[in-house]
Amino acid sequence: MDVDKQNANPTILSLSDLPSRRRGSNLNRRNDGSTGLFDGLIPQYSHLNDPFEQSLSSSDSDDDSVEDIDEQEVFDLISSISDPEHPLSLGSLAVVNLPDIHIQPPSSPHSSISTVLVEVTPTITHCSLATVIGLGVRVRLEQALPPRFRVDVRIKKGTHSTDEAVNKQLGDKERVAAALENGTLMGVLRKMLSTCE
Amino acid sequence: MSDIQQFLLEYDRNKREASQIAQKSATRLTDGDLKLLKLIEELGEYFNSEDVAIRVKSIAYLAEVLGFVPPKVLSLQQRNLLCDFVLSRTEDGDGIGSCAKALLALEERGKWDGERAQTIMETLLANTSPLRQYKQQSERYPVLRLIDALLAKYRDALRTLHDSQPDFLSRFIAYFDGEKDPRNLMLVFSILRVPMTEWNIGADAQDLFDAVFNYFPITFRPPPDDPYGITAQDLKDRLRECISSTADFAPYAFPALLDKLDSTSMNTKRDVLQAITSSVQEYGPRTVSLYSITLWDALKFEILNVQEEDLAEEALNGLAAIAQTLSQGTSGPLNAYLRPIIKECNEHLEDAPTKQSQAAARIVSKIANVSPDVTNLLLAGILPTMFTLFQSADNMAKRRGLLEVFVQLIKANIDVYGDWRSTGSAGASAPKGALAQFRDQALEVLLHGLETSPVNNVSYRLVCADGLLQLSKVRELLSEDDIGKIIQLLHAIVIHEESFGKDEIKESAINSLVEIAHQKPQVVIDKAFPAFMAQLPDTDEGSSGHVAVLEAFAKMANEEDVFDTVILRLKNKFSAAVSQNASSGYIVALLSAILYALTKGSNKLEQDPNTSTYYQDIVLPLLKRTSSADASHPEAFNNETTLDLVGRICNIVVRSQSTEQQEAIASELYTLFRGTPQAELPPFNISAPPENHKTMIVSTHLLASFRKETRLPCEIEFLVSSLVNYTQHSDLSIPVRSASLRQLSLVINKFYSAGALKTCMDPLTEAPFELFHPEKLNPPRIRVIFACLKGILLRSSPVLAKLYPKLLDFLSHPKYGAAIAHGFSTLLQPDDLITKQNHCQISGLHKQKSFALLVPNITQAFREASAETKRNYLIALSGILRWLPFDIVIEEVPSLILLLLQSLDLKGEDFVKEAAIGTLASTLAEKPEVVQEHAGSLISRLLANSVLNKESPTPARVRAAACRCLMLIPDKLKLEVVLPYRRQVCRKLIAALDDGKREVRSAAVKCRARWLQVDEAGDDDD
Repeated sequence: MDVDKQNANPTILSLSDLPSRRRGSNLNRRNDGSTGLFDGLIPQYSHLNDPFEQSLSSSDSDDDSVEDIDEQEVFDLISSISDPEHPLSLGSLAVVNLPDIHIQPPSSPHSSISTVLVEVTPTITHCSLATVIGLGVRVRLEQALPPRFRVDVRIKKGTHSTDEAVNKQLGDKERVAAALENGTLMGVLRKMLSTCE
Repeated sequence: MSDIQQFLLEYDRNKREASQIAQKSATRLTDGDLKLLKLIEELGEYFNSEDVAIRVKSIAYLAEVLGFVPPKVLSLQQRNLLCDFVLSRTEDGDGIGSCAKALLALEERGKWDGERAQTIMETLLANTSPLRQYKQQSERYPVLRLIDALLAKYRDALRTLHDSQPDFLSRFIAYFDGEKDPRNLMLVFSILRVPMTEWNIGADAQDLFDAVFNYFPITFRPPPDDPYGITAQDLKDRLRECISSTADFAPYAFPALLDKLDSTSMNTKRDVLQAITSSVQEYGPRTVSLYSITLWDALKFEILNVQEEDLAEEALNGLAAIAQTLSQGTSGPLNAYLRPIIKECNEHLEDAPTKQSQAAARIVSKIANVSPDVTNLLLAGILPTMFTLFQSADNMAKRRGLLEVFVQLIKANIDVYGDWRSTGSAGASAPKGALAQFRDQALEVLLHGLETSPVNNVSYRLVCADGLLQLSKVRELLSEDDIGKIIQLLHAIVIHEESFGKDEIKESAINSLVEIAHQKPQVVIDKAFPAFMAQLPDTDEGSSGHVAVLEAFAKMANEEDVFDTVILRLKNKFSAAVSQNASSGYIVALLSAILYALTKGSNKLEQDPNTSTYYQDIVLPLLKRTSSADASHPEAFNNETTLDLVGRICNIVVRSQSTEQQEAIASELYTLFRGTPQAELPPFNISAPPENHKTMIVSTHLLASFRKETRLPCEIEFLVSSLVNYTQHSDLSIPVRSASLRQLSLVINKFYSAGALKTCMDPLTEAPFELFHPEKLNPPRIRVIFACLKGILLRSSPVLAKLYPKLLDFLSHPKYGAAIAHGFSTLLQPDDLITKQNHCQISGLHKQKSFALLVPNITQAFREASAETKRNYLIALSGILRWLPFDIVIEEVPSLILLLLQSLDLKGEDFVKEAAIGTLASTLAEKPEVVQEHAGSLISRLLANSVLNKESPTPARVRAAACRCLMLIPDKLKLEVVLPYRRQVCRKLIAALDDGKREVRSAAVKCRARWLQVDEAGDDDD
């Protein structure tokens, strides 16, 4: 059986403790402290009842404010990736953490390239699957972020016995490309990414 | 030529023809044209033929004839003779299948005695063992059916055989050795199950067990178009029944099963776990006690190191089944079984929260509620360690992990011993021991945890709150004082705590209060209600914190036992606020709270016809305040939204009243007790003062609440024509106009008889009004047309066939065609006032009816329409489709698909696009073959709509919907259709990944991930 599991008994975070967009954002909070319980009492769609009102109403629901891609969004993209060893998400195993995700804006006004830096924390310091996890995060972000983002995935400093070697591997474009040609590895990655939401 | 000769001739050429010959012989036997003796004589020659094939065919003939002969034709003597004869043929070895069929036919025509059954069984064993020597499945199958019938009908006789002959059972078992065909195996399993369950199998137990277990695990996969319909599951079920059939198997079954549990195949493991569970359930406590620890050691592995979620679930079922079975026996074995479980779980809990501590928690909670004994033992074994661990824990996460297990244990306790209002599985017996012993400690830990931990410790506090709720529910555990403490803490959180995050704690606290109110209503009323009331001032100084408190308080109305009190307190608060001149905002909040509470208790109102107190105390005062002009009329009541709330409150109370009670209000429908004659008020007097118009909103809600038998305050025709005139008045505010139009729909829907409904539109369509005259068309008239139709179409009246064509003609109207087209979406749109609860007449088939009358005509007219008006037809179509359940549309979808695709090209019609995408998505899900040939144009249009386009910007909602619909395509259409578009889709969607709206990006990411998998689909199929 799976005697080769590197860490058979990892610590698990509760889902309600993971960072999520709604928590702490006060954008939707009403100034009177209410939760909007009474809003549904008078149905919103009454205005649709008139043939002459709807062309107006269709456009006002969409304002022009832009929601930028932020760290939380990157976290949401990768926290649901499964761990290759356990049927648990990287978020609940605290392998990816919101404070370890950094988005750096373009370095000069002429450039449009932003950088996403993700630091991964393996569950144990000698985890040989750290590379695979890093690769999974990298593949997911390259598939899900627009091309103006440069993706940089690293092992968090001091959390892995060979973090520098692994970082070198993850940073080397050609080695990443070669790894993705490997059928078995791709199979593992596909399984990891299949739980992404 | 004799029948047998003809039969032999036909047999190889045409089986059916041969059968008919046999049937003819049977008829002749029945009619007496053919003597049995003669028939046998004719057969004699062939029975003794040198040619095996002829011998086989002649016995087949006999079997067929016997099968066709009606009962009672053959005498007992004849049947006995035939039996002996057929049985003697089994020596031959060929034609055994037909022999068995013949014997079965004979048995059906007259019951045998025990001796005969024994002889047949013995002869079969002597002459035909083992059965596998016959290569044809069709030969063996009838024999198995014969033995199955023998076991079913001559149980005692066969059992005597076994009791009198020591070697019978071993010969019997050996007889079926080597069977491979699934159809036969089904019979073999059910045959062997009889000795297993009923005979004293003694020394043959192992052989008998091996005879079935050799087939474990079943790996049979039925052929693609299997005509026999036997599935692997059928075989597995029968095999499992065999394995679990007798406790005598235990010494062989458990070691063999546990051995197979090491298999690498998930399917095998699943079968093993299921077999273990059902064996444990059947073998009885004495046998199970011998293996319980061995089983625990094996099963726990599946839970602590989860491979597949469902395997862990099966293993948990197994553990619970062991506890269940042992509970039926003495306490010693149960103790012995639970001891290692408690020890191991306690060890894992030490390092909570980890994967294994979670597994330990699952084990404990799964087992804990199987019986009172188990609950007591587990609680006594786990709670002491748990509280020690808790006290020494150095971090919150660990404490949370421990409390989660504790909450599960309390729940198990409730399952077994019940809560305050109902008893549990243990009946009325009082809970004893373990939990009561830790009651005070638990209460203190949980109260302290919820009260003092920082607000950002959400998950920890949630567990504490849940624990307190469960604790307060346990039957006869806490005193009312203790429950009072819990309530106090909970309402303090609801009322005073600063809002944090998603406010999960506040929400959980208020829901807990509602649940506790179900258990102990009076304690909640005494403790929590005064606290809520104290937070609600009679008059506010513009502060606004009270809305949150009101929301929480209104939620309490969910619990029936405190509903009346909630309403009473809210009503008093409202009166006080009005008399103290409170702000409009506060008054609206109070009204909202009353309405919310009434909605939650509306079931109670409907069951209880005695709502007149609510009418006297709430409705009447509100109506008087609405219409009065003096100081009792709050300023808030000049606002149309407030009046809408007032109307809804009145509606909910009045609608469950009887017709007689309603008539008292009906006469005041428009006057609202203000003493002015009705004729001077709207809708009869258009030039009434402006404040009088607003009360039309309240009148609409009252009208909606009336039963259709309730008498209106004037003639219905007069009311309709007054409303039609009134709604055209240009000075009306939008809410008043909309309310008046809905009155029109309500009156037409409820108060016309079916006959009058057919002609109700005539006065409006004729001169001088001429509602449908194209030249006179204008916005107010269009509104009237749709309001009237809305009332009619819900009743599926035949008059629609006359009215709809006029409406469809207007789609090409040069000036108002587009407005009419948009109006179509109002026809089937659900309306919160025109409902069954409001006594409206709503035919179950009205959607089908309107669909059938409108949609085919629209598609037809679309083809003939001019280029400028084509879009009107698309708009109208989507306006209908968006409200229809897809099963109504599904048959017509092929004719709509081109229109739907063109709808995606319309500029600026976002609702239309959204509806079209919705229908296309449903089509993909339910009837993908329709879309197949249009894949290319569908994909390119969805792509165009998913990306923000500067020239005609689609809203985020539409872009996201397009992405979601696009994501369905690879799942629903064939790979070879989809594959060519993969590159294009993945490339174009990159732009959507950078959309300005998060909703769109999220849909685009998922969609693109699905499309990226497209070329991989082929090689991961395992």
